[in-house]
Amino acid sequence: MTVATATEAIDCDLHVAPAGVDTLLPYLDEYWRSYIDDATIRMGQAAYPMGAATTGAAPAGNHEELTAVLDETRPRRAILSCLALDGVHRNPHYGAAMATAINTWMRDEFLERDERLRASMVVSTLDIPAAVAEVERWDGDGRFAQVLLPVRNDIPYGNRYYHPLHAAAHERGLPIALHAWGRGGNAPTTTGVTTSYLEDYASNAHIAQTQMMSFVAEGVFSELPELKIVFLECGFSWLPPQLWRFDKDWKGVWREVPWVKERPSEYIRRHMRFTTEPAQLPQDPEQIAQVVAMVGPELLLYASDHPHEHGASSERLLASLGDEDAEAILRGNAAAFYGGSIA
Amino acid sequence: MTQLEDQAATKQVTRRAVELVDVDIHPVMLGPDMARRLPERWGRHLERYGRRAPFVTDLYPRPRNKGMRADSWPEGGIPGSSYELLREQLLDEHDIDFGILLCLNAHDAGYEHPEYDAAINRVVNEWIVEEWLDRDERLRSCISVPYDHPELAIAEIERWAGDDRFVQVLLPAAGQEPFGSRKYWPVYRAAADAGLPVAFHTGGYTGHRGAGWPSFYLEEHAGYGVVMQMLLTSLVCEGTFAAIPNLKVVMTEGGALWAAALRWRLDDAWSQLRDEVPELDRLPSEYIHDHVWFDTQPMEEPDDPQHFLQVVEQADLSDRLMFATDYPHWDFDTPAQSVPRGLGKEQRAKLLAGTAIELYGLPTHVDRA
Repeated sequence: MTVATATEAIDCDLHVAPAGVDTLLPYLDEYWRSYIDDATIRMGQAAYPMGAATTGAAPAGNHEELTAVLDETRPRRAILSCLALDGVHRNPHYGAAMATAINTWMRDEFLERDERLRASMVVSTLDIPAAVAEVERWDGDGRFAQVLLPVRNDIPYGNRYYHPLHAAAHERGLPIALHAWGRGGNAPTTTGVTTSYLEDYASNAHIAQTQMMSFVAEGVFSELPELKIVFLECGFSWLPPQLWRFDKDWKGVWREVPWVKERPSEYIRRHMRFTTEPAQLPQDPEQIAQVVAMVGPELLLYASDHPHEHGASSERLLASLGDEDAEAILRGNAAAFYGGSIA
Repeated sequence: MTQLEDQAATKQVTRRAVELVDVDIHPVMLGPDMARRLPERWGRHLERYGRRAPFVTDLYPRPRNKGMRADSWPEGGIPGSSYELLREQLLDEHDIDFGILLCLNAHDAGYEHPEYDAAINRVVNEWIVEEWLDRDERLRSCISVPYDHPELAIAEIERWAGDDRFVQVLLPAAGQEPFGSRKYWPVYRAAADAGLPVAFHTGGYTGHRGAGWPSFYLEEHAGYGVVMQMLLTSLVCEGTFAAIPNLKVVMTEGGALWAAALRWRLDDAWSQLRDEVPELDRLPSEYIHDHVWFDTQPMEEPDDPQHFLQVVEQADLSDRLMFATDYPHWDFDTPAQSVPRGLGKEQRAKLLAGTAIELYGLPTHVDRA
């Protein structure tokens, strides 16, 4: 997180989380309250072990705690992300009920109390009709800036399984936001679960590359020409070689995917954005400038990712930017990408 | 008189510098040849039950020419099955001084009965010697090993380590467990102690990508480098390089330029999380530089050639990158046309031969007809 240089920014990834499941009980019906009680369900935070330096402090759990954070970071706008639904639960009905509960809690606790705030809408990933219903539920609210999905799930997100959800987001101009971590039961590799948190943590970038390719290869943008995708907390410095590779391969095997009508990088540059934290950059300022130029500063959206601590790369990034790129990354790109409710 | 002696007797021999080494060539063993060479039980098993792992082209069919160069089909065979055609189209045509064979027939045999796995690897290696290495002094090869049964893999390494035409040990990009797992360390130690690098080649059973299965060959192929990132992350984070200081690995047919961002990613992550893995006492990028080589196949090609040079520098690859054609696959790279412009003379020479000569202990000069 970089405070000093990033005031008045549009912060596209700021974390909140209910202090415990009790916080959400008022938003759940009697069946789910007893289900949670019977099974002694707790809020899962497997992706952020409390002792890991990357986890930082606990996310803000209420308006007072969040206000203390905002007093420090002083954003123009902040989009709240709550990852409390991510976990290993496989019950699709539970996922749908919790999504509604979390969104309603975020509205009551945060959105109603601070006009600078917007939120990422949580939806069930195991019940797509329920996810669509959740998107419809918030029609007219205007404060949910994007639909939040965990980058790790069972089926790549370009797959037709998700089409109704993407179509619902597309119809409303809501970006689909893929955030690091997610369904914890799946190994983040081709083979097996990792023995270290270090490796698991580094793997979000690998899965993001897979998801990025899936949207293009499945032709999602041919069917939903205005759909917007944003990757949160997945890095971006891996983009250039992967785009070169993807373009070259498409030139060779386009016959397999005739619905992909342009170079993959053109779809990606038009439809996708990436937040700046973690930045994962070299030490040398000249090389940082090379990376930013290759990625394209227009693809980057500032995020504090509070309270997570990914090291010094993002400070080096902001320090390396000229005024024009800094303005774009801190504010302009997000205002243009999200439009109405954020600008 | 052997074929080699015959060649030597009829042509004038001259001494020349080694200027071109191709580190990724794919000979293919036909099913009937394998069945005939296997011990009776396993030959019968192959004919009746086949192989356990789904074949990669059944998962992701290659849309044209089965993913092969259109002109690489020999009469009565499949691309890579004919020494004569490979010699003509690759070794002679491009004047290759040394070519390293990576036969992938045993790549996904780790899912078989251990003895079946071992037998498949053994006959692949025997076939490589008899049908390839003995017929052409330009050829070198990998030792195929039953990597998922480490004690059998070590026996296979020991069987061939005395033949210096085998220059490395071959593994795929994914096995039954992540390749950083201690299960595989005895195999790596045996290779390193025999002075052999371990080459990980794209392929094996790599469908699930941490986010489910992709749908298309385009994703599979464009994702080879992503799978390699997962594999190298596993090797680093599980402490493989820290535990085996003399291990050298080669990432083949997975591209190379992704290594820059992976180094930054792992260095940042390690800086934050090193208390979890005190056995890693150096920056991940240092382990990667000291232990890992890459081939050029398939070359990542930016629109601006300067970007290629910048990333080679960012990833510190100038003495770690080796040229490969990937014959006979559809995205074959020719030495004349695919090496990026703008490489300095010295760096180009390293990429085309020097780095491979040093890594594999190849001669710098040869007497050739």
